[in-house]
Amino acid sequence: MANLLHIVVCAGVVPDPLQTLEPVTGPAGPGLKNEMVLPAVLDPWAACALYEAANLAAKNPGSKLWLVSLGSKAKLQQVMMTIAQKAAFELVPIDGPIGGFPDAHSTAAVLAETIAALPGLDRSKLLLFGGWESATRGAGVTLQLVGERLGITDQFQGVDQIDLREDGSFEVLERVEGGKHQLSVCAGTPAVLGWATGNLAEPRNNPQVGMTNMRTIMPALAKAKAAKLEANGLRYLSVSLPKQQRTTRVEKNLSPDEIAAELVEWIGAE
Amino acid sequence: METILVLAHADETGSALTRASLEAVTAGLELAARLSAPVTIGILAADAATAASVLASTGARLLAVSGEAFAQARYATDAAACEALCRAAQATIVLAPGTSRFTRVAAGVAHRLGGFIDTHITALSGTETVEVSRWFYRQRVEAVLSRDARPWFLLLDAGTHVAFAAEPATAQVEQVAVQLPEIHTTVSGFRAPAEDAQTIRPDAKMLFVAGAGWTKKQPDGQIHAAEAGELILGFLHATSSSLGSSKSLVDQGGEGEPVLPFLTHMNQIGQTGATPRHAKGLSTCCHGEEPHVVGWRFIADRRAISLDPNCGWTRGKADVVYIADAFPVMAKVNALLEAKKA
Amino acid sequence: MEATTSSAAPEIDRQTMEVDIACAGFGPAMGGFLSTLTSAWTENPADPAFESKVAPGMPLQVLCYERADDISSGVSGVVTQAKAIRSSFPALDPAEIPMAVPVKSERVMYLLDPIGASRRSLILRAADALLRCFGPMLGLRDHAFTLPWTPGFLNKHGGLVLGIGQFNQWVGAQLMASGLVQIWPGSPVAGPLFSEEAENKSKKVAGLRLADQGVDKSGAPTDGFMAGMDVRAELTVVGDGPVGAVGQALDERLGLPQGHARREWALGMKFLIELPQDPSNLEDPSNSEALNTEALAKDKVIANAGGKLSPLQPGTVWHSFGYPEPEIFGFLYVHPDRLVSVGIFVPSWLTDPSRTAYRYLQHYIQHPALWPYLKNGTLRSWGAKSLEESGRHGEPFLTGDGFARIGEGSGSTNMLTGSGVDEAWATGTQLGEAVVELLRAGKPFTQKNLAASYEARRRASWVERGAREAENARNGFQNGPRGSSMIKGMIGMALAGLTGGKLSLKAQIPPAHKQIAPSAASLRPERVAELAQAAQAGGRPLHDALLTERGWPEIELDGRLLVTQQDALLMGGKVQAMAGFADHVIFRDSALCAACTHKTCVAMCSGQAITHGPDGVPLFEREKCVHCGGCLWNCGQSPDGVHSNIDFRAGSGGLHSAEN
Repeated sequence: MANLLHIVVCAGVVPDPLQTLEPVTGPAGPGLKNEMVLPAVLDPWAACALYEAANLAAKNPGSKLWLVSLGSKAKLQQVMMTIAQKAAFELVPIDGPIGGFPDAHSTAAVLAETIAALPGLDRSKLLLFGGWESATRGAGVTLQLVGERLGITDQFQGVDQIDLREDGSFEVLERVEGGKHQLSVCAGTPAVLGWATGNLAEPRNNPQVGMTNMRTIMPALAKAKAAKLEANGLRYLSVSLPKQQRTTRVEKNLSPDEIAAELVEWIGAE
Repeated sequence: METILVLAHADETGSALTRASLEAVTAGLELAARLSAPVTIGILAADAATAASVLASTGARLLAVSGEAFAQARYATDAAACEALCRAAQATIVLAPGTSRFTRVAAGVAHRLGGFIDTHITALSGTETVEVSRWFYRQRVEAVLSRDARPWFLLLDAGTHVAFAAEPATAQVEQVAVQLPEIHTTVSGFRAPAEDAQTIRPDAKMLFVAGAGWTKKQPDGQIHAAEAGELILGFLHATSSSLGSSKSLVDQGGEGEPVLPFLTHMNQIGQTGATPRHAKGLSTCCHGEEPHVVGWRFIADRRAISLDPNCGWTRGKADVVYIADAFPVMAKVNALLEAKKA
Repeated sequence: MEATTSSAAPEIDRQTMEVDIACAGFGPAMGGFLSTLTSAWTENPADPAFESKVAPGMPLQVLCYERADDISSGVSGVVTQAKAIRSSFPALDPAEIPMAVPVKSERVMYLLDPIGASRRSLILRAADALLRCFGPMLGLRDHAFTLPWTPGFLNKHGGLVLGIGQFNQWVGAQLMASGLVQIWPGSPVAGPLFSEEAENKSKKVAGLRLADQGVDKSGAPTDGFMAGMDVRAELTVVGDGPVGAVGQALDERLGLPQGHARREWALGMKFLIELPQDPSNLEDPSNSEALNTEALAKDKVIANAGGKLSPLQPGTVWHSFGYPEPEIFGFLYVHPDRLVSVGIFVPSWLTDPSRTAYRYLQHYIQHPALWPYLKNGTLRSWGAKSLEESGRHGEPFLTGDGFARIGEGSGSTNMLTGSGVDEAWATGTQLGEAVVELLRAGKPFTQKNLAASYEARRRASWVERGAREAENARNGFQNGPRGSSMIKGMIGMALAGLTGGKLSLKAQIPPAHKQIAPSAASLRPERVAELAQAAQAGGRPLHDALLTERGWPEIELDGRLLVTQQDALLMGGKVQAMAGFADHVIFRDSALCAACTHKTCVAMCSGQAITHGPDGVPLFEREKCVHCGGCLWNCGQSPDGVHSNIDFRAGSGGLHSAEN
């Protein structure tokens, strides 16, 4: 079958973006204060990738979907309690540090090694998905590095759409400068797609999907292999919250006309 | 002793370097001067000779990969080209602009060379060693870091350096040969909103941020989404501003609520959106959305219109906050701009 | 053929899932239930008693649905004796649970009003004056009189200070890891499924129906509509708290036992404050700019003059009464890492219709007995919750065919000791033991069997003994004119507390909506309307305008600890609502709302999610709702004499904070 896909989604666990974050530096390097206490979510961009992958897998029967995630077991479990109701997938957890400060090259090495060893994965059918950036490190390099390690030279970043054709080729829309999309046609798998937001709404929570997923997720978490991430000579000289605090002029008693006049003058000023 | 390579690429014309590339050139020259290091500039362009003419006065060694295969931004060819340029330059530090084109391939190239990469660099410092600044957690935590391993690739955020400018002259460009890889991908073009529907303008002086308040119930208990849309578009047209939005406004469609039809996820800034850089920013109806719109971080001069006199989020972040209803204010602003134009 | 909770609902495609045990709400009670069940199963997973009936060959299918987006979200910091919790986890090490610490010291304080704005009766004012005269000799400091000893019934010695969010997360992680239980947050339960027989009369519960997704505010299907699934089960465990949709629907269908009624409530609201790093920041309170200097000049009761305060130690527990209103109890619990939970309980018997919790809490933390410690702190988190304060008076039918009720919604909270978490946990463990007993005996989950196993255990336990002692302990608060109920209330509590409930005051307790007494209003309805209009025009919350009008000084915002309520929603709680769910706060009869002069619901709304509407009917924004349920009983109108005019249904979202 032409469009039998093996989709692997790489997705990290990040602190709920609504939380107040404060960096702290410990013996193991920088981290976030109360990192293990903060509620966590699946990285927002990677989550888009997961939903797109689930949609693609559903449209192409016989396809398989793995979710490879590196994070602390406790946080992975917590996040799965929400995410597992949204899409059917096989979780491949890797027990490792969470957060944005570990080196992306080490993360990529661990992910690539894990993906290469996935039982039943046909790398010629592989679509490697993930977020084009993350809400933690936000480097936008991990997926490319995993792709390189797996020898995939068709890579797309900032993807908002994929249209699979019957012959196995597909069209991709990537975000480029100026609010535009670059349109490319790729002859077929394997390929790497780093997703921006895509166009799908967040799937509804489906309890049945959750229940089925969880039967495999909990055992997978129980035997998640532990990964140690090398620093690769990366040194943090300082990690801090932005210090700049502006002096804000608060205008409470101006009429709309007065405000408008002031704004227009400001807009016109160089 | 460091050796520096700056990677630069051409715009759609294939014969002129992008502004972001020229910013990277400035950064490279400054760093080279500070470290007393030799600098090479590697150019990726269909017509590299023309593109390189602006760099003649830099005194840097100029390398280029050119040809039709490199007219299109595509992983396989761009990665091969950059790899070849890096191997030819043998640099320890590779600077490149964080454009979509280089962001796509730079990490892969670094890996091929056994090197390492850091992206979204906002500042380069250090005299003995190279130290770089970048943000973590979506512009919420700032870090200064360094690496011992080389080659070290650094992708610079746009707007962090002044673009290099000089009179074009004939430049000595060494062509670097590239073994073309197998090509599976064809770039078939670009999709952009129609000119009058275009609301994202990275080169605009002003960013207009629309918050979820625009489509909430107003004091009369009604939602005025159509009016909000007209006011926002009117302002964007009059000022050629770029439009940013909070996540909650972009997401509102999901709840069957009235939406602003011209807004897409592409407009979203901040936490899970873009991080635009503009000289000025005007935020409207954004109260309570600070966690989402930290994209403000890179707006130089910031003003806000908010209904809440005690809004803790604008205080300390904006330069001026007007406590007012944005509807009448923006209507008047548009009228004044219209009159000024006339 | 599937059962529906409402015969008027149109036919829609609704999925059904069969499980063995369906649970609504994940809090301490459910934690106790599931921990007990899991622990029994773990002893011998091969025990045939634990084999699933719906999935033969597999262990029991136990699913728990929780409204909040995360099981750690939107719950509170508490002090608990933790008897039942420790009994479930004999090797419990508080250090394993963030924010947990053993109780080290306790104190009960009567707080005088340093500002002179609280609603104090003449008698109380006279008593305060006496205390001020002779107080210094008795140790009155910082406008606070510390009781020489902590009454036994309030004593939490040997207990724990907990962040319930973190505790829930800790319990939940262990439960999930066991493999027996699945807990699903972000899944509001719309109501119980009643058995198909005699649809409208059946008292037999056959499972749960989850809330519809992909609907508009009114619940009408929109894009991506997904009808809430029916989760059918032999046993439904209801632990969805005092304002949960399942519990409410059961009470509607079954009524309450003879003589029982849910009439007493309180809104608990609290700040989680990070204390300043350097204890030397704890200055002499006389320098505190937040104090009313005029009041201080009149009243030279200042402690630690010129001295430094010692920092608060983790495990410190303070209870208070008397301020910011005589009826309002307050607390301060110290967690590890310089975190402090400090909050108040605003009760339904605070007769004044212009109620608030947020602004009162801001005044509370600035009381001279507290402020020197808290000043220069940072607000990390904030939250609010309704407490069902009827205790045993509000106990529903604990068991029925196919269901059992546990936790606060089952009337387990002890109003005398001010304790609910441990009692809730205990009721969960009692049900857990009962269910294990029935499974092993192969007995069905009938009302009779559940009563003989679960109810019998509960009746024979310390939870029941405590509930009986506490049954009438709060009656005194329901007596007397405005601001004077405190004295009788405290006498009533002391009587009940010191005699083990043998003595107590009598009271006729009106329904909550009648406890809001326009006659007790500090402000005339016309003035409230004027203030409301001005507040709305100025973008100011109603409660702020009302309290300022009543003589409370404006809050000097510092942007860090003293912030607007809207900012608190962001700084601490981080309120969010997932798209695609219906509004869960419904104004039943709009004519009643339009005619209502005080609109207590607006002033009391913890998240400012309820605001004035143009036609007199309040507006509700679910994106701001913290699901405290306060609106349910802070409505002075009733369409039928029983319910208030606000319907509080199952909803998604709420606070996103695990530090609560």
